[in-house]
Amino acid sequence: MISQVQRVSVDTPSDTAMLEITQTVQRAVRESAVTSGVVWVTTTHTTTGITVNEGLPDVEADLIAMLRRFAPTEDPSYLHARWLPSDGAMAINSATHQRAALLGPQVAFPIDEGEVVLGSRQCIYFVELDGPLRRTYLIHILGEADAASVGQGKDTQ
Amino acid sequence: MIDFHTHLTAVQGDWPPDPELNRACEEVFGMGPFQPMKTFLAAMDEAGITQSVVLPIDCTTAHGCKVFSNEQIAAIVAEQPRLIGFASVDPNRPQAAGDLEHAVRDLGLRGLKLDPAVQDFDVTDRKLAYPVFAKAAELDIPVVIHAGLSWAPNGRSAKAHPLALEAVAHDLPELRFVIAHFGFPWVREAAMLALRFPQVYLDTAIIYSGSPSDSVGRVFRHEIGMDVIRRSLRNQIVFGSNTPRIRPKRMSQAMTALDLDPDLYRNITEVNAQRLLGTKEAS
Repeated sequence: MISQVQRVSVDTPSDTAMLEITQTVQRAVRESAVTSGVVWVTTTHTTTGITVNEGLPDVEADLIAMLRRFAPTEDPSYLHARWLPSDGAMAINSATHQRAALLGPQVAFPIDEGEVVLGSRQCIYFVELDGPLRRTYLIHILGEADAASVGQGKDTQ
Repeated sequence: MIDFHTHLTAVQGDWPPDPELNRACEEVFGMGPFQPMKTFLAAMDEAGITQSVVLPIDCTTAHGCKVFSNEQIAAIVAEQPRLIGFASVDPNRPQAAGDLEHAVRDLGLRGLKLDPAVQDFDVTDRKLAYPVFAKAAELDIPVVIHAGLSWAPNGRSAKAHPLALEAVAHDLPELRFVIAHFGFPWVREAAMLALRFPQVYLDTAIIYSGSPSDSVGRVFRHEIGMDVIRRSLRNQIVFGSNTPRIRPKRMSQAMTALDLDPDLYRNITEVNAQRLLGTKEAS
């Protein structure tokens, strides 16, 4: 059994952005030598999300609009709108935490014959909800290899 | 839009690792390096900010360190033309006025940052503080003075009451200075000084609870009054975010939420800062 965790760094461009990472995940799996198993894609943050959807700009825009509708940026009822001593900064991003909760932090796909098994319209997204920031997500590949060489865990930017 | 109040204390730039600087950022300012310079600039873009004033703090006597030295600030702004470098000197040291002259004339820094709450000095001290103020006036540079609530771990807000600046404004009328954070919680006292002295400015970095839309809105609308802002302070307020204690996009959103008339918005976000920096003639 191989367990390989790759840390991927990404500089997000704006406050909110859907960054398609399907090819990055596919490439990581192909380079891993795992032929049968599962790949987990996980964000390391609480104001980003990992999700799957159809790779169309209008779908992406509607998803962002939906998140903003369900979790408005400003709401006087939010409690997470205060000084946070551990950060030395104001913590006033309750809406982005809520949007992240709606999306979830992780997706998983099977690996079969060395490929990620995706539906024809499925794209994997890293979703920035409080950028721009340098962010990190994980590609965890778990499975069996039939190749002689076994990939090593590595960091990518 | 010009941001008149930022710190680089959450930036890990391309400069060589500097454990002493990191200690100063973490222990004195209360933050560590988190993000690259690229992110700092992207955050400016996201907020609609074209230029940012970056402020160091020389607290050699109080804490044995500098939250960025003048030389470091000069080197950074040389690489980043969107950043406007200010100096800081330690008023508790006798060479402070000379350090300021060197920072401006030789390093090209364009203003002075002082924080009596962190640097532990009295702004009315005629032997220590006044020579620094006089040198700033002689050099014709603006001074940003921390006032009000200090978020620094060892900061002493009592040292930063804006009323103490009344004597400075009176005794040194040629000195142009910004009362940072609108002096919160002493915003009426800070506004009083700006009403009385045309060379006294206020910045918008009012953060204490809620979003900047809440806190700035509360001060502008309810504590001071929009009529006072419009009539009497329109030429003396500058946009300041206090990055990284607040993300600049949120302070920018607060300016939009104020629903200011276009001229007042432009004054606060651009024109008044240009005048302070000497890049625009007074209107």
